[in-house]
Amino acid sequence: MGCFGAWRSWCVGVAFAAALLAGGAPSAADGPLDFNRDIRPILSENCFYCHGQDGNKREADLRLDDRAAAVGAGAIVPGDPGASTVLERIHSTDADVLMPPPNSNRRLSAEQKKMLDRWIKEGAEYAQHWAFTAPVRPAPPQVAQAAWPRNDVDRFVLAKIEAAGMQPSPEADRAVLIRRLHADLTGLPPTPAEVDAFVADPDPAAYEKLVDRLLASPHYGERMALPWLDAARYADSNGFQQDGDTWQWIWRDWVVKAFNADMPFDRFSIEQLAGDLLPEATNEQKIATGFNRNHLLNGEGGAIAEEQRFNNLFDRVDTTSTTWLGLTMACAQCHDHKYDPLTRVDYYGLLDAFNRLPETGMPTRFSARIRVAPPLVELPSAENTRRLAELEAAMKAGEAAAKPVGDALFASWKQGLFSDGEAADGKDLSRSLTPLLRKPEAERTDAEKRSIESQLRGHFEQHVKAGLVKDLPQVAAYEAAKKAFEEYKGDQIPRVMVMSDEKPRETKILDRGDYLTPVGEKLAFLPPAFLPPLPEGVPQNRLGLAQWLFLPEHPLTARVQVNRMWQQFFGTGLVKTTEDMGVQSEYPLHMALLDWLAVEFREQGWSQKRMHRLLVTSATYRQASKVTADHVAKDPENRLHARASRFRMPSMVLRDVALAAAGLIDLTIGGQPVYPYQPDQIWEALAITKERDFTYPASHGADLYRRSLYTFWRRTVSPANMFDMANRQTCTVRASRTSTPLHALTTLNDPTWVEAARVLAEKSLKSSTDSATRLTHAFRRVLGRRPTDYDLEALARMHARQLAIYQADAEAAKQLLAVGESKRDEALDAAEHAALTSVCLAIFNLDEALTRE
Amino acid sequence: MSDTCKLPKFGAWHRFQTRRRLFGSAGMGIGSVALATLLERDARAAAATPAAVRGLPGLPHHEPKAKRVVMLWQGGGPSHVDLFDPKPELINRGGQEIPATVRGQTRLSTMSSGYAKWPVVAPIKPFRKYGQCGMEMSEMLPNLGRLADDLCLVRSMNTEAVNHAPGVTFFLTGAQVPGRPSMGAWMSYGLGCETDNLPAFVVMTSSDKGKSCGQLFFDYYWGSGFLPTRFQGVKFRNTGEPVPYLTNPAGMSREARRVLLDDIAAMNATHLADYGDPEIDTRIAQYEMAYRMQASVPELVDFSDEPQHVLDRYGPDVRVKGTFAYNCLIARRLLERGTRFVQLMHAGWDQHGNLFTQLEEQCNDTDAPSAALIQDLKDRGLLDDTLVVWGGEFGRTPFGQGDPANPKGRDHFGKAFSWLLAGGGAKPGHVYGSTDDYAWNITADPVHVHDMQATIMHLAGVDHTKLTYRYQGRQFRLTDVHGHVVHGIMG
Repeated sequence: MGCFGAWRSWCVGVAFAAALLAGGAPSAADGPLDFNRDIRPILSENCFYCHGQDGNKREADLRLDDRAAAVGAGAIVPGDPGASTVLERIHSTDADVLMPPPNSNRRLSAEQKKMLDRWIKEGAEYAQHWAFTAPVRPAPPQVAQAAWPRNDVDRFVLAKIEAAGMQPSPEADRAVLIRRLHADLTGLPPTPAEVDAFVADPDPAAYEKLVDRLLASPHYGERMALPWLDAARYADSNGFQQDGDTWQWIWRDWVVKAFNADMPFDRFSIEQLAGDLLPEATNEQKIATGFNRNHLLNGEGGAIAEEQRFNNLFDRVDTTSTTWLGLTMACAQCHDHKYDPLTRVDYYGLLDAFNRLPETGMPTRFSARIRVAPPLVELPSAENTRRLAELEAAMKAGEAAAKPVGDALFASWKQGLFSDGEAADGKDLSRSLTPLLRKPEAERTDAEKRSIESQLRGHFEQHVKAGLVKDLPQVAAYEAAKKAFEEYKGDQIPRVMVMSDEKPRETKILDRGDYLTPVGEKLAFLPPAFLPPLPEGVPQNRLGLAQWLFLPEHPLTARVQVNRMWQQFFGTGLVKTTEDMGVQSEYPLHMALLDWLAVEFREQGWSQKRMHRLLVTSATYRQASKVTADHVAKDPENRLHARASRFRMPSMVLRDVALAAAGLIDLTIGGQPVYPYQPDQIWEALAITKERDFTYPASHGADLYRRSLYTFWRRTVSPANMFDMANRQTCTVRASRTSTPLHALTTLNDPTWVEAARVLAEKSLKSSTDSATRLTHAFRRVLGRRPTDYDLEALARMHARQLAIYQADAEAAKQLLAVGESKRDEALDAAEHAALTSVCLAIFNLDEALTRE
Repeated sequence: MSDTCKLPKFGAWHRFQTRRRLFGSAGMGIGSVALATLLERDARAAAATPAAVRGLPGLPHHEPKAKRVVMLWQGGGPSHVDLFDPKPELINRGGQEIPATVRGQTRLSTMSSGYAKWPVVAPIKPFRKYGQCGMEMSEMLPNLGRLADDLCLVRSMNTEAVNHAPGVTFFLTGAQVPGRPSMGAWMSYGLGCETDNLPAFVVMTSSDKGKSCGQLFFDYYWGSGFLPTRFQGVKFRNTGEPVPYLTNPAGMSREARRVLLDDIAAMNATHLADYGDPEIDTRIAQYEMAYRMQASVPELVDFSDEPQHVLDRYGPDVRVKGTFAYNCLIARRLLERGTRFVQLMHAGWDQHGNLFTQLEEQCNDTDAPSAALIQDLKDRGLLDDTLVVWGGEFGRTPFGQGDPANPKGRDHFGKAFSWLLAGGGAKPGHVYGSTDDYAWNITADPVHVHDMQATIMHLAGVDHTKLTYRYQGRQFRLTDVHGHVVHGIMG
């Protein structure tokens, strides 16, 4: 049981698993101690907060994170537990002496104390945190069932399964496998024909052929983009008041394309972090840097721009460090990190790489709708350019026609002015004008005359003209043309927010993270000191940062990314805390596998597709997801992978599956976001600003059925039917999978699902005159596999009950069939159609349909 | 599935497995109605204590004074100068300059930080002494004033925030930048909920009639941050159905849905028999809870059982959906039905340029409903263990905003402002904390954002230092590393 049990003693289920994990890994009880596995978690959780590396909080000037310091202070006497004061303190029964102090909410278990005794007795050896030394490729272990592994991944997995006295699960049925692969690689369900072909394919490489087909699909990039967009806190608006729309979807399209092209992860990362700094940077490379411009933007009246600018900077540091380093830098914003060897110098050193943008911290209003913050890349399309030229020409023509009229009006208005500066319209003229106007005309100098003329003209244009020209067609036409030009230019020219180093600034440590109190020396970008140094010749800027991440000796980048891949395909990361690989992270049961994958990823050239292929072609991945009594008893969380993980699919994928099963889906890739069904007045909360019309601009036609990825994501009010999603406000690398009644209400009642059910029912009705065949058709469009006899019986019963209801109530049938904008075939019997619609809705809501088995 | 009988006890799943063995392995041989009935009963049994409903072991940390909390959020920054913190000096010195020694280095919004003049604007209406305790508040708040002996007025609130969204986010999530769990999410996570027919944490929003101030309420004010999303607040909508997708599609009756759900449950049960994953049990329970919520929410918003004199208390808007008055009555009904944390958010207190006209209207809209809610809770014996909190993200400047010769409003002001508490262990008839002659600097007993959070949590039975969640390698909590329980406002 070891340290794991007490570490999270409140969770019984987890304690179960912990017992197993300690058993699955070589445990301390029957082997040598491993500092990282057995000791560090105890010290880190219970001691480092006060006796760690944060000098400001250190108590009694004692640090236990550093062997020399702990030994020097006499806290630890290697080999002599009796003389080590740290042991005296932890075993004490005197509340004043006991460590950790009783009021600290921390308590050591008897086992943890025993472990520390043994560790000191055996010499109190420390080791660097496992994730901070570069991974070395371990040899895959020997396994008893040598025939089971399909690749090296499986050898690591099987060795642990065998050590735990368990068996891997049999391979899942092919119908399950194809649905699983589709869900994971494209997020779209297989058609029944595709399922049949795969099930019947006699080729021994049928599975690999299928994988390769899916990896080559243009929808692969869309599926892979989903978790990346969560990490990048991607949204289509700023957040906060006014919540202006942005053009960051152009960056989103870049991501999809990059995945589809299998852009190697090093290039994928370097372009997103520093594409603008590459030699001869292309527009595409600049667009890639939108990654670090996807943060919230606060344009509230009265907001202090510099404060907001620092919020953006902090966000970039946090997002970058979580995404690529698996480290939580935010703690070091205010003080040296309590646990990880990160100092404030490290934090602000990294921040400096992002502190060179010509940005104010606030968004700029380009139109009532669009608010974006420079620096920008403007990307006018050919159509934009043409239209803009057209509008400009119209404006100029209008100006030419209106000028004489305006001049004449101005001249006559000027005539009517009083010499004391009272304007005819009653509006005060500028006070500086009054003395000038009082001066007799002959005495005015040329400069004064020019000043009077220009000030009067300014006043006239601003305050007077509009009232006079209302009825003059030439002027009105010009004003309209000018407005059209400006509105088009502000609203319709794509402007992607990107990175730039054009305005280097002085970076200093901020006392307690407060932007008003910089302290100490100026800092220039350097990577955290405990990680490999920046090599010679690498620039000391964002580009250097990006290149540094991919040094062969870098301990984190590859591990962090393969860990997230594992999470994507196996439900949970090898290190469960995918957002944190620091000292406080979970000690991985499968450390060797993690390291092997990390080295493999780097050495094969950072191809993500190849890694995905490696994972999904493993025997581990191909197992059935059925849960046996043995699994429940020994490994309820499935950390050993003696079965495939089963989990509810993301809501974005569920919606796509429903639309695809119905044949409604529009598979156009990329482009402007769309506005599919949402509850009425979804943006009602925003409507209280008078700045713009916040009516939801509902799409019609094919745009209602685009993939969920393209649904407009308003940061302040996210789409109501995308439940359990990352909030797209801060970087999120671990998706939530919860289960609430509101989720069930969504997939039961949202018109998206109801309409999909109606259209699927219509297709099923037309597929055959035989009821069982129709039910089979509907079932297979969603679930892929053929229904069992029991399934068919249950569906038939369901259908009969619904049919009785709708035959008795023709009006109800008509109402149900009226949900959604697509046309229905009115030749079909309404009761039949409505009953089958209910059945299809039920199929969408089966646990099996919601789950990736 | 022969191995399933060897399983250890495993809740409804086990019961079901046993029953399946009894009736045969494929569901043949018993009628679907019987099966569905059995399943439904199992599902209900499972739903009675699903993980989502229970709180954490060891919580509450101590006997709670407040079993429920209702936050009456007053968005925009209600003017403490005009409403809660009477200063004869401000009346005497209207139009005069606030001394630099008083102003110090106070961080102000960029709307006023560059001012050359800082003219005092006197409170726009007189103050009155209310109740036995003689609590002084504006005459614009007569209804709350009538309850003065039940109120605890804190005059020493303070925040670092200078703008709305960061200020609100700070109070509701403990950080100025969005992304952390909100207070209600922490409470649901720690304490669970007392009902499985309604959400544990409900949010409702409203705005002043003129929509004068443009304050918006964002999802992250009731978000779950890094806590599982099931703890996020459920926002009742002001148009259409209160909960999105609550209503069956047109043409699908509740009866038709019932039989459909039974049939889904039967198929899910078969799948459970085949796949053995207890999560499938949770799914069955989830759909049952959804069905129950479809009945309990409409019942909640049906006021036909409310006596006229109760409705009258809340004022004429009580029947108008989306008004503060309507939301106050819903809040009471939710609290009665076991919802633990109700967060009403009302916009309209941001009087930059319309202080002399809009503040009074704002008081008219909110005073009676706020008081009615407190009175109603009191009448039902619920006030003793329900904490009512009334306040906004900051106060307003004692100096005027706009033309110094003729200021029309007040800017944001976080250095000192006032909040009201009632019930749930708050000290009744009590004024806590004080400010200087200009209502600018706190002179006694400051209560910072984190202190108020710690205190609310404490009253709800939660030690704010102990309710933590490990994320990104550290233990996070609502109060970050700050916050002290303010014992002086409890009693």
